Amino acid sequence: MDLQSMILDLQRYWAARGCIIQQPLDLEVGAGTMHPETFLRVLGPEPYRVAYVQPSRRPADARYGLNPFRLGRHLQLQVILKPSPDDVQELYLRSLEALGVDPAVHDIRFEEDNWESPTLGAWGVGWQVLLDGMEITQFTYFQQAGGVELKPISAELTYGLERIAMFLGRKQSIYDVEWGGGVRYGEIRLADEREASTYGFEVADVEMLRRHLEDWEGEAGRCLDHDPPLVMPALEATLKTSHLFNLLDARGAVSVTERVGLIGRVRRNATRAARAYVAQREALGHPLLGAE
Amino acid sequence: MATFALELRTEEIPANALPGARAALADGLGSALAEAGYAGLEVRVLSTSRRLIVLVDGLPARQADRSERLTGPPVSVAFAADGRPTKAAEGFARKAGVTVDRLETERTDKGEYLAVTVVRPGRPTAEILAEVVPAVIGAMRFPKMMRWGLGDHLFVRPVHGLVALLDDEVVPIRLFGVASGRTTTGHRVHAPAAVDIPSAGDLVDVLAERGVVVDPAERRRRLDRLAAELAAGAGCRVHPDDELVAEHVELVEHPGLLRGAIDPAFLELPSEVVVTTLRAHQKCLILEREDGALAPFFLAVTDRRDDPADLVRQGNEWVIGARLADARFFFDEDRKRGVEALVPGLERLEFHRVLGSLAAKAGRVGELAAAIADRLGLAVDGSELRRAAHLVKTDLLTSMVVEFPELQGIMGGHYLRLEGADEALWTAARDHYLPSGFDGDIPSSVIGRLLGAADRLDTLAGLFAVGEIPSGSKDPFGLRRAAQALVKIVAESGWALDLGAAAEGAVAGLGELAGSAPADTAAALRDFLAERVRRYLTDRVGVGGDAADAVLAAGWADLPELVARARALDRVRTSPEMRALGLAFKRVKNITEGAAGAAVDPGLFSQPEEGELHGASAEFAGRLAECVADRRFDDAFAAMGELAEVLDRFFVEVLVMTDDERVRANRVALLTGLRRDFMTIADLSRLQIDGGNQ
Repeated sequence: MDLQSMILDLQRYWAARGCIIQQPLDLEVGAGTMHPETFLRVLGPEPYRVAYVQPSRRPADARYGLNPFRLGRHLQLQVILKPSPDDVQELYLRSLEALGVDPAVHDIRFEEDNWESPTLGAWGVGWQVLLDGMEITQFTYFQQAGGVELKPISAELTYGLERIAMFLGRKQSIYDVEWGGGVRYGEIRLADEREASTYGFEVADVEMLRRHLEDWEGEAGRCLDHDPPLVMPALEATLKTSHLFNLLDARGAVSVTERVGLIGRVRRNATRAARAYVAQREALGHPLLGAE
Repeated sequence: MATFALELRTEEIPANALPGARAALADGLGSALAEAGYAGLEVRVLSTSRRLIVLVDGLPARQADRSERLTGPPVSVAFAADGRPTKAAEGFARKAGVTVDRLETERTDKGEYLAVTVVRPGRPTAEILAEVVPAVIGAMRFPKMMRWGLGDHLFVRPVHGLVALLDDEVVPIRLFGVASGRTTTGHRVHAPAAVDIPSAGDLVDVLAERGVVVDPAERRRRLDRLAAELAAGAGCRVHPDDELVAEHVELVEHPGLLRGAIDPAFLELPSEVVVTTLRAHQKCLILEREDGALAPFFLAVTDRRDDPADLVRQGNEWVIGARLADARFFFDEDRKRGVEALVPGLERLEFHRVLGSLAAKAGRVGELAAAIADRLGLAVDGSELRRAAHLVKTDLLTSMVVEFPELQGIMGGHYLRLEGADEALWTAARDHYLPSGFDGDIPSSVIGRLLGAADRLDTLAGLFAVGEIPSGSKDPFGLRRAAQALVKIVAESGWALDLGAAAEGAVAGLGELAGSAPADTAAALRDFLAERVRRYLTDRVGVGGDAADAVLAAGWADLPELVARARALDRVRTSPEMRALGLAFKRVKNITEGAAGAAVDPGLFSQPEEGELHGASAEFAGRLAECVADRRFDDAFAAMGELAEVLDRFFVEVLVMTDDERVRANRVALLTGLRRDFMTIADLSRLQIDGGNQ
């Protein structure tokens, strides 16, 4: 099964289980969790089900296209089920059948793997799901986001698409995975990976990145100080600062002491945006309550 | 007699939480039942990755009757003048559930009171269980708890099913929003359908038929047997890893194991890399040959009894291949970059928020190591040490150690060795984290020992300076272990290094980071080290605690010498001479307390015992000096022992605290000189005389 068929089949599967099929956030983020469809929607009492693909950028993980297993930008398929249903594990296992994996002839295990994001003030408990020893999904029950205790609790499923495609196709390199229509992953992405590595490790203008980080941090603050707070613009500005931090970090420009401080600065705006969102939904009268 | 069976069916519980959960549940339920009057019951707790199971045999149908003595109002207010019971008496009788005529009187210190013994009839056991079980399970705590769904319940993982049976009756319980019944499910793959448990005694067997082995000990036996078979099938044995097998036991409902092959080319990587890759990422065991060399096979745990399409083996082999290829990629990348090129990167690694980067630490460690080498007159070049202090930390920046922190030191050693570094240097990189506390050997090279000691000294001084001093069970930075390692290195390298002075040097080396009270920090660290030195003497050298205290009180500026003194004293500490001397020396110390040394005037002697002690002391002082110079402490203590009789006689015959001030002062001076000489090797007053050897 090629990469795009996996995406299509998983989306169809989750759409049939009541998920809205969202589109990727049109900003650079490190993980699907940062998409407001996860980070904000898990807050407050309103039920929600959503699935989307999120290209996730991790500048420090780039390897000039030389490492067959690691990418500076990879694809996550993210599913949020709020509240987490009683049969969430069974729902998940059946989603694997959509990928042509028959649990009856495989070994599938859930091994403890908890998740924490200091930049988002978020943490959860859960597992990595192993298929015949291969980690194919992060499965997390969100406990807190933006420093806010969650109730109800959302289940987050994150499929690492390239890894799964590689594993199911028994490919020795990500770049050999078939994307679709007979075109290989490497034919589409290899050149970007090389360039992104050169840019991230050698070329990125540190002074410019720092300036922009300051600017967007200030902008996030202005949006949050606005009356009423502008939740989405504030979060987007904060996500930009998070990505700028990642670029600086990959470039080796963040000193030890600075690091903790910068993460704290991003978190401050992320948690403020989260609280503003909670207030905004309350003011709107929680329109999605009773939607189920 | 009835059997109680409980099954709490959950989503996968973290492996490391299960052993503690079993113990806590057995304890909690055992004591709750004992409190309810059930004596001598064994509470068995079993578990798989997806269930907690409790079994209790031999339960009576009812709780035992319990009698209780109740005390009521004083007799003086219980009856009116005409002898009729008052409201107080009637109220007490009502409360106790008896008629007034059954009330007795009881004489107490405070007067006569009404009293009655009431018998509380035992309630049905099912009722008791329905109260006790939810209370105990609801109170269970795990390292990390969670909520799920609507967020109303808190447990280690979501709960889906509850079987509670007393023989064939359901015990009505509600836990985490789930009501008890008799229905469960078997293994997720082998028997997912719902199944009813007829009676409590059937639970384990019904689950066993459905692919679930609920007893961890049984799973362990089966995994061990499978591992031995699979290894023998490949002409190998298992590279032992007890901790990992113990984890496998907790990861599954059905203990399965499969053997997969590894591309032999990967075995060219350092063996630690192969073992760690398999262990850390895949929780796989590896096989080895007779001679201990790694063999190209792994064992993977699986939660099923078969591999019908051979997909599980193929999948695991693919993943292992990918992981090892990734490790080889890291290894090659690290090798290409080279060790020297990593040094500047230490600036970016944080040692401690306040104490700064690893580069700064390495700088301090290099200086400290050079100072120690200088003080000890070791033939090591200071500039080489300063450079080495940085080089041995560079592996923290390599891809391999970022991926596998447990390979710190080991990778540094490999990379330096492969670059052709001196053996003294590459082994120093490999060994400078050793020993761990008192466990393991000290580094083999002098550079390794110097850097290992200086690294610990700097860590201790720095963390003490910022107030991170261990207290009670709190020691997040492992400072006790660091101090133990330091003591062991110094003692076993044969270094005459004064640790107290070294602590001061390390605090001084912190510069401004030492804070406002560097002298206090150094003093606190010195005391902390003294305690570790004592531990070293008792736990590693194996001397008695009192002998350790005795020699420590005489100074510990030279650990190898201290160890020799401790050994010598320990050999004789229970001899009659030493026991006598211990008592006598206590008196010597009491009498001479606060006395300054003064010359003894034999002209003032009025009793022969004074002269005798004076002569013996002088002779002893001479012998002691020779013995100490040659480190013949057995002889030194023997010489001391010879004084026992003389000193005893002196105390029997001579009254030190006589009225004549000059005579008294002279006698005190005689004893003060003796005390000073004794105290050069041990404070015998610390020896435990009364009966104890310890």
